[in-house]
Amino acid sequence: MTTQVVFAEVTESPLDAATLSAQVGHEAAGAVITFSGVVRNHDVGQAVDSIEYSSHPQAAAIIAQLAAETAVRDGVHGVGIAHRVGHLRVGDVALVAVVAAEHRSQGFGAVIDLVDEVKKRLPVWKKQHFTDGHTEWTGL
Amino acid sequence: MTINETTNCSVRFYAGAAEAAGADAVTVELPAGSSLADLVNRLGADDQRLAEVLGVCTLLLEGQAASSHTVLPEGPAAVDVLPPFAGG
Repeated sequence: MTTQVVFAEVTESPLDAATLSAQVGHEAAGAVITFSGVVRNHDVGQAVDSIEYSSHPQAAAIIAQLAAETAVRDGVHGVGIAHRVGHLRVGDVALVAVVAAEHRSQGFGAVIDLVDEVKKRLPVWKKQHFTDGHTEWTGL
Repeated sequence: MTINETTNCSVRFYAGAAEAAGADAVTVELPAGSSLADLVNRLGADDQRLAEVLGVCTLLLEGQAASSHTVLPEGPAAVDVLPPFAGG
């Protein structure tokens, strides 16, 4: 049974975790783990209104690489990863990571590592807009 | 045989680096044999905020991660300035 990267993309379109999760299931997988990264209404004590995400042209190739690395893990049969860019409001989904694995521990571990790698290696940036009107680039 | 005395850098800024630079892209002329560190020093020479931002950025030379010691090619060299990633 082959492991599939079902989707790996950086997109301006809204992400729906339930729809994406349903695409990744596999008959050999007893666990389908889905993580949604959602725009939160605060950051370090400040009230957040929205976030502007942008990406480098290499981001599409890099997210595909991260998915491929996850796909070869032990017990993993399906992988999907999508990052949204553009202007997102509180409650919007910025990231969806899905792993279908034989056992839950394999699935949870793979999702944690995949999301960590996205944060480390995917060239995506965010500018937070706070409710008091000021803005801030995360990491600068 | 011609020996170039300068090298041209086409610098592209992303996200917060573009905001700090006040531009998405600039062209910089440097003495031949200059390194990426020399480029960074030149870019931040008259702008304290940009210098600070450059200090935490990663540089790509022709699309590949490169250390500050890397000597710029004869040019034109394409350099991308990437702030710390903040995905997820």
